[in-house]
Amino acid sequence: MKARMDDGTSQYYFTASMDSGKTLCSLLKAIQFQESAVFCAMQEGLKLTVEEGKCVQASAYVPSDNFTEYHVRDDVDVIFKISIAVLTECLNIFGSAEESSLKMYYRCEGSPLLLVLQPQSFSNVMTDCEIATQTADSLLELRDEDTSEVAKLVLKAPAFLGLLADLEKSCDVMEMHLSPEHPNVSIVTYGMQDRSCIDMPKSSDMVQSFSCEEAVTLKYQLQHIRLIMKALAVSSKVVLRCSSNGLLLLQLKLEKEDQRQMFSEFYIVPLLDD
Amino acid sequence: MKCHIPGPNVKVLGRTIHALARLGDELYLESLSDCILLRTLNAAESAYAMVKFNKNFFSYFNYNYYCTDDKEGLKCKISMKSALNTFKSPTHMDKQVENLEIKLDADSCKLIFVVKCKHGIVKTHFVSILDCKAMQAVYTKDLVPNRITSPHKILSEAIGNFQNSDDQLTIEAFSNSLIIRNYIDSKTDLTKVIRTQISIKPIEFDSYIIGEETTITFTLKEFRALLAFAEALSLPIQLHFEVTGKPAVFIVHNGSTFEAHFVLATSKPDIPTQETPTQNNSMIDRKRKEVDNTQGTVRKKAHLSIDLSKCLDEDSHLFNFIDIPEDGTEVEKENQTQKVWHTSKIDCDNIPPSPTSKMKLKTIFKRCFESTFDVRSIQGNVLAENSDSE
Amino acid sequence: MKFRAVMMDSSPMREFANIVSTISKLSKECILRLSSDQLYFIVSEENNGPAPPILWCEVPQALFFSEYQIVGVDDEHKDIYLGIISANLSKSLVTLKTAKSLKMKLTKKQCPCLTLEIDLPSITMQQSRLVTHDVPVIVIPRKLWTEFHEPRVPRPDISIELPSLKQLRTTIDRMKTMSPEVVLRASAEGRLTLQIKTDLAKVSTRFRDLRVEAFEGPIDHSDSESESQINEDVSRVCYCRVDAKKFSMFLSADNISHNRTICSIVHKKLVTLCLQTEENVKLQCFITGIVY
Repeated sequence: MKARMDDGTSQYYFTASMDSGKTLCSLLKAIQFQESAVFCAMQEGLKLTVEEGKCVQASAYVPSDNFTEYHVRDDVDVIFKISIAVLTECLNIFGSAEESSLKMYYRCEGSPLLLVLQPQSFSNVMTDCEIATQTADSLLELRDEDTSEVAKLVLKAPAFLGLLADLEKSCDVMEMHLSPEHPNVSIVTYGMQDRSCIDMPKSSDMVQSFSCEEAVTLKYQLQHIRLIMKALAVSSKVVLRCSSNGLLLLQLKLEKEDQRQMFSEFYIVPLLDD
Repeated sequence: MKCHIPGPNVKVLGRTIHALARLGDELYLESLSDCILLRTLNAAESAYAMVKFNKNFFSYFNYNYYCTDDKEGLKCKISMKSALNTFKSPTHMDKQVENLEIKLDADSCKLIFVVKCKHGIVKTHFVSILDCKAMQAVYTKDLVPNRITSPHKILSEAIGNFQNSDDQLTIEAFSNSLIIRNYIDSKTDLTKVIRTQISIKPIEFDSYIIGEETTITFTLKEFRALLAFAEALSLPIQLHFEVTGKPAVFIVHNGSTFEAHFVLATSKPDIPTQETPTQNNSMIDRKRKEVDNTQGTVRKKAHLSIDLSKCLDEDSHLFNFIDIPEDGTEVEKENQTQKVWHTSKIDCDNIPPSPTSKMKLKTIFKRCFESTFDVRSIQGNVLAENSDSE
Repeated sequence: MKFRAVMMDSSPMREFANIVSTISKLSKECILRLSSDQLYFIVSEENNGPAPPILWCEVPQALFFSEYQIVGVDDEHKDIYLGIISANLSKSLVTLKTAKSLKMKLTKKQCPCLTLEIDLPSITMQQSRLVTHDVPVIVIPRKLWTEFHEPRVPRPDISIELPSLKQLRTTIDRMKTMSPEVVLRASAEGRLTLQIKTDLAKVSTRFRDLRVEAFEGPIDHSDSESESQINEDVSRVCYCRVDAKKFSMFLSADNISHNRTICSIVHKKLVTLCLQTEENVKLQCFITGIVY
């Protein structure tokens, strides 16, 4: 199938192209903890969302300026369910070491998502993929307009990854204590008979900014927090926001060489004391 | 007890814990007036290790802090897993750790490890003390006829020729050569196992004294652990051993601040080497009974320590990946290139939430969950009545 | 029966280690047939009963060994057939890449063995160490030798030169996570397509401008529902559906430095992959087509 973007595809619901799909692929792999994702093409950019139960919602957001061409029809909704596992395998079809150009096409509701990839190193090969789409499930509405933000912490992503990697994997619960008093941020985990605590004062040069009005203690399932580690590994910065209802939002920024940015977001629901 | 370990030595302690963790599941700590001793014993009681850290290893050393009785130091036992938790990835610690404090909290019966890292981060581990006693093994180190000092590389490379499935190693020490081979016992199916043998000339070693030619056999697993320890610290290994049946002692030390002893029980092999011409006798050898092991048996190990190392390797890989940036000059650059989604100005610490689809997803059964849903409000023909209608 | 051979140069030693390593990835057990001019590695399907080999590798001994002596059982049966665990041989040859020399001989220790004596240089470079591996083997009796002849395959419909094995392997490894089977399509125009089709996706990787060595068309497609591309003459296209894992395993031969690999397809029935190196080593793999 020959593929130039404007070849009879102007009526398509969604078309986009990129010089290299490598970063997009790493970003999608970072939220790939479930089999399927909700794919949504908006005017501002592309967003894929994955949920785990009712506790974690992760999204990868790619603003439209990351694409060389990006077109979404404004009279329709481009939203469908797709296997994110298959999508990342296809994006990676020429291997992770290869930069491959990417073209995406979605003709109309119910169509498969069509991908065309061509590696930069080899001129005599190309891959086309037709990935089945289904009606999207409804997504959790976790954002609550009525709650206020009680604390915000901005860190370099590799630094936060280092801290999380140090936590004992077998622990179930991670407690986060945030306070305007020293040591400001404490992460506590409990083992069988032991307890470990990481203190990070706001004066640390790992902390880019910290704001907290009142001391607050929040508990999360450590397995949920660990889901962000892959995304942290490809990101440069992370912003943690805690709401008064305990909902934790982690926003991660990934910066490419051409200064374009992609983002991932994780909403994590806290563990509530019975 | 209370002591401080300066940054560069923390890696040594970390490597020690990792090596000991490959032997036993419990770590014994004893503080004496001039040193601290760490000991462990494997489950089969065939391997024992004792590592001594002298006073000069520490930047601050008080062996009986918190104790009223002047002579009594600390004697305790903790779980090896707890110790490993503190020293997750030794190579990373080398770059990140400034100082480590170990102290006893007598009230809560916990040993507290306070790791002061760069960038103002402090990690504190409160480890439960399982027991308050010491453990010690008796062995001969100095008055043995056979002593070899080997660069760690020679032995590591030699061991690289053996299979992971090989369980035990036999060393035949002759005055003109050292032969290392995998141990085959009478129960092994010879049609399935590769027999490997390597011979090393005495000149390859730093020193080689064989007073009494002998053959000893010991388990490969613990030997690999002590080799990895010597390799990580780039130190040579001393082998001190006598006749078969008596334990062999492997010593790794840096001459000043610490000394590690690994004591492995030995047994005598009952199949001769691949070189000997007495192949006809091998049939007889096989029928011979198992040689009586006087100093501990060399049995199959428990698998727990192997699993521990695997978990650690996973985490270590993740950790080594990170290079924590040194300063914050990137922040200014971000101010200029920050993406603006809405036309309002955004400061660099505020990433706006990603846009959501304006469309509310149509759920199929959404209406049924509305509290105001009334069946009668459906227009048109009802094709199927409620099956549980009143 | 006697066998003794010596290898001295680093390049043949490295190649030999790579060949054995590839074979060990393809199969757990193999037959090593020693003849006066070649070594053969033969792998059969691991089913009950005799079956034609699925892997046939020929190594001409003259370019590898500096010394080579073989004495068979008797004058009529000059070759030696040995059954061996390929992984054992491969693991023992790992150190060959830095070795000074290799000696292989057939010995009888507690059981028949292929004894490998490897001379390894030590760090000081002036010393060397001798490592001996006794790899147990089974001597195959003469009456079973007929099971291990080079398979006779029907004349292929097309023979096409493959692109780099590494490139193919990267793609097949991604495909095999999505589907257990892959369809290979080759056209006389020099096009090769790898295609998978599942409920979730259809993925096609298309190579063009490949060299066609032979084409015995036209191909009869009257009995199939094969889809055709626009502007494609189906009589010049043939395909075969194969197990993706088996295909991927063969592609791990990419670490053997080779000149070229030819893929021959008997329409719907058989795929033969033949890799040839400069030293005239020939590695052939036969993958039966899956037919519904």
